[in-house]
Amino acid sequence: MDANTIYLALFLYFIVGSIIARQARSKLGSGVNDFFLAGRALGGVIAALTYSATTYSAFMLVGLAGFTYIGGVGALGFELIYLSGLILVAFFGPRFWLVGKRYNYLTPTEMLGDRYDSRAVAIVSAVAAVIFLIPYSAVQLIGIGALLEGISGGAIPYLVGVSVAAVIAVYWTWTGGLKAVAWTDSLQAAVMLTVAVLSVIFIAYRAFDGFGGMFAQLEAQYPQWLTVPGPGFFNINAFVGLTLPWFFFSLSNPQVSQRLFMPGSLGQMRIMVMGFLIFGFIYTLVSIIWGFSARLLLPDLEVADSATPVLLSMNIVPNIVALLVMLGISAAAISTVNSIILSLSSMVCRDVFKNISRQIDEDRELLIGKIFVPLFTVFILAFATVRLDLIAALSVASSAGLLVMVPALIGAFFWKRGTSAGVLSSVILGGLTAMILQYSGWRPLELWPGVWSGIVSVTLFVGVSLLTAPPEKKAGEFLGYLNTELNRRKVI
Amino acid sequence: MSLKQQRIFWALLFLVMILAAFIIPFLPPLKDLPRVYGAFLFWNIFALVVIVCLGIITARWRDDDGR
Repeated sequence: MDANTIYLALFLYFIVGSIIARQARSKLGSGVNDFFLAGRALGGVIAALTYSATTYSAFMLVGLAGFTYIGGVGALGFELIYLSGLILVAFFGPRFWLVGKRYNYLTPTEMLGDRYDSRAVAIVSAVAAVIFLIPYSAVQLIGIGALLEGISGGAIPYLVGVSVAAVIAVYWTWTGGLKAVAWTDSLQAAVMLTVAVLSVIFIAYRAFDGFGGMFAQLEAQYPQWLTVPGPGFFNINAFVGLTLPWFFFSLSNPQVSQRLFMPGSLGQMRIMVMGFLIFGFIYTLVSIIWGFSARLLLPDLEVADSATPVLLSMNIVPNIVALLVMLGISAAAISTVNSIILSLSSMVCRDVFKNISRQIDEDRELLIGKIFVPLFTVFILAFATVRLDLIAALSVASSAGLLVMVPALIGAFFWKRGTSAGVLSSVILGGLTAMILQYSGWRPLELWPGVWSGIVSVTLFVGVSLLTAPPEKKAGEFLGYLNTELNRRKVI
Repeated sequence: MSLKQQRIFWALLFLVMILAAFIIPFLPPLKDLPRVYGAFLFWNIFALVVIVCLGIITARWRDDDGR
């Protein structure tokens, strides 16, 4: 595809998004809650779209399609079990929302610090989130850089693609905080889903005589791709190792769990949850069908992640649709990155700076948060320039690390006996376990880093908590309030 | 059923469903069924059942205005 056409499309996209972002700013209040949480008054539909756009990244049409290409139907199981992780929101969503309103929490890590009555818990959890989300965000930019380079036949250099995406992400975020992110995410989610569905219909009908024809060919030519372990990639250890951290994504990733503070009511949260589930189900199927189509049409690819760019460069999909898909994938990545940048910035100003210096007033806190928006972007950009190979593997490394937050979060709502020492040991040592195993490639008992980090963090959280004294007063007040409200609102 | 009993009921039901989603496709007969109505259909049905269950649970939530 011609590089100038791609540049023009990206420019138009940037302009439309910027108009939306500026419109959002005109409705933005002045405080920290307004900038980072849209004033806790997000409507259900916008909340569903921003939740979807934030959760689903370039990984879907690039990494997941690549997984399907090399591993077959196991990729579908992996992603749909992840989607079913929204079960956790049925239990935790209203709990987050209720205590967020009552105690005015800005971040999930602030909530942990308050519940366990420890500033160290908030600071350490926030730092852990920064450490693990930077590579995850960089992976998004890497995805865009690789995609633009691939689809333009090398005419758009990798670094240019990465930089363009970073500029778009930071500008929209800086312009209007969460409100701008949520509104532009809504545009991006609509683009992501529409073009993905459209393109897969084109592929099915122009290359295979419909979806039935495609699956019939798959059954005839690649029957193993319809079973697990099938071609071998998704053996049970790999499947569990990949899927387990992702199942807890809705709790473990602060840019997602922070969204549980934002809906205007439980009714709006319901629309958010159900809207996301429908979006996710369709988007997952589309990504898997992409992967299967690539397997049939491009059987000899050396790099699985190149399946999507190569498929787009063939003549099956009309050029304009291919261009829109490219935009859709870029949108998926940008909408994930800008939400992460905003979430990390809120954690730095609230959990790190405010805990270290309690004298900070709201204006200064907001200023610090805003300054960190471009700072984090530059940091993520720097990380993305150190190009690494397999997109999916790095994303999973991040979720294996963030998984260590989950025992503390579950304990906050369901276990009075949990202590700050338990949280600190589980987050620090669990996080170190994830990092060491991921970077050494060592897999004791053939279990993946995400499984080990989960085991280590649960064991330490429970074990150390039992040996130390819990914050009884805070736990009693926190859980007492919740129980009353949950009963009144019929929340399980 | 009290809320506490409902909580336990749904937690156990989801636990069974999730374990099934991890295990069943790796066992016969799905393991040896290279058809679209094998593991592919199983995981789709699993996801749809989860969506319906979450629809039921979230429909019971009540806001201050009674909605």
